[in-house]
Amino acid sequence: MAQRVFLCIGTKKGVFVAEAARSRGRFQLRGPFGPGVSVYSALIDTRGTPKLFASSCNAFFGMKVLRSTDLGKSFKETKSPPMFPEGDGRALANIWALEEGSDRKDLFAGVEPASLFHSDDGGDSWDIVPGISNHEHARQWQPGAGGMCMHTVLRDGDRIHLGISTGGHYLSEDGGQTFRASNTGVGAGFQPDPYPEFGQCVHKIVTTPHAPGRMYMQNHGGWSDWNGPGGPRPDIGVLRSDDHGHTWRSIAKGLPSDFGFPICVHPHDPDTVYVAPLTPMTRTCPDGAPAIWRSEDGGDSWRRLAKGFPKKESYFTILRDAMDIDELKSPALYFGTTTGQLWIGRDGGDEWECLFDSLPPINCVKVGVA
Amino acid sequence: MNVTIQVPGMLRASAGGTSRLTVEASQTVRALLERLAQTHPDLYRSVCNETGAVRQHVNLFVNAANVRDLEGLDSALAPGDVVTILPAVSGG
Repeated sequence: MAQRVFLCIGTKKGVFVAEAARSRGRFQLRGPFGPGVSVYSALIDTRGTPKLFASSCNAFFGMKVLRSTDLGKSFKETKSPPMFPEGDGRALANIWALEEGSDRKDLFAGVEPASLFHSDDGGDSWDIVPGISNHEHARQWQPGAGGMCMHTVLRDGDRIHLGISTGGHYLSEDGGQTFRASNTGVGAGFQPDPYPEFGQCVHKIVTTPHAPGRMYMQNHGGWSDWNGPGGPRPDIGVLRSDDHGHTWRSIAKGLPSDFGFPICVHPHDPDTVYVAPLTPMTRTCPDGAPAIWRSEDGGDSWRRLAKGFPKKESYFTILRDAMDIDELKSPALYFGTTTGQLWIGRDGGDEWECLFDSLPPINCVKVGVA
Repeated sequence: MNVTIQVPGMLRASAGGTSRLTVEASQTVRALLERLAQTHPDLYRSVCNETGAVRQHVNLFVNAANVRDLEGLDSALAPGDVVTILPAVSGG
């Protein structure tokens, strides 16, 4: 059967699945699944028989992990969600990240309060990863506006990168046995010491397989006009690492704002990276004019992409997991908004079109080709 | 002694599809929930988190009284009591 493009769209009212041919001409929508319940994370797992996963985060009755084995035509709960062990004292408040592990059935879940869980049976059972969940820093992390969440889990061989808000970037280089804060160059504009060991409000981190060690980070920026102790803290919001996240440097110059939530890297070109700058105070499109910004030189310069977007009176937010890019030869970007719009940026973001304009508020968007 | 648990529609799948469960030998709400954890673990997890606390947005009533207005999980049960699980009116 010819491969097709799938979108998993996590919304405040359940998860939707959109499907199209590889030409990405017309997407067919189905759902919501897990209706009425907010979905903060999704995963399109193309290892072996494709599976779709979504976290169903019910404020009343707790968390579930939903799994689809028929490409999003139906979803069923896995046997168990992640749960803190008896006597731990913490209770699961949300599931912010679902990511592939090393083997076909291995999964990771990043949760709130910030902790990491691992499943070796496709999500039916979960074990806490103590190296980070019981880290000596763990009880000192503070919740950001979205909660105290572990929202980014990235695997790179024996390295595991984690993004925690507000905890910062943590790195394991022994397959997840031990972790250490790795935030050299990552600013925390909201602290008297703007470069602490940990406690940064990291928003999203991405890696690329095409440039070993290269990473990009959208951090909590918006501090260029800070006039308190320590003075202005410009350009701390968009960062790059070339040494597996040991050190970071700013690449925010040229952007209209260094505040934003998502960040994406091109699937074939490690120097091409995308961000969605927002006005720091309102966390909406600057001047009401949406735009995605693309760098094709690893962050040295940026170009505004806005063909197809409204030119004014548009004030939405794109949340940290609500932008993704497919892996086709000429990739398309996708993002969802808090106003329920799902946009596609064809030709690497050169031209934008609204695919769906009246979905519930969108928390996350994942794309896969299966 | 038997008490009855009234299950709301959204949780009936976790209760084997039924709206009323009859549970034996429960002197308190805590004992009732411990029994429920053994017989209907999915339903229990929907009512209580992993610390054993009743979830913030779930209310338990013994007949017409909210257990939060009684003795909490130590509220006593009597034969024939009906314990109702209800989501709190909140959210948007």
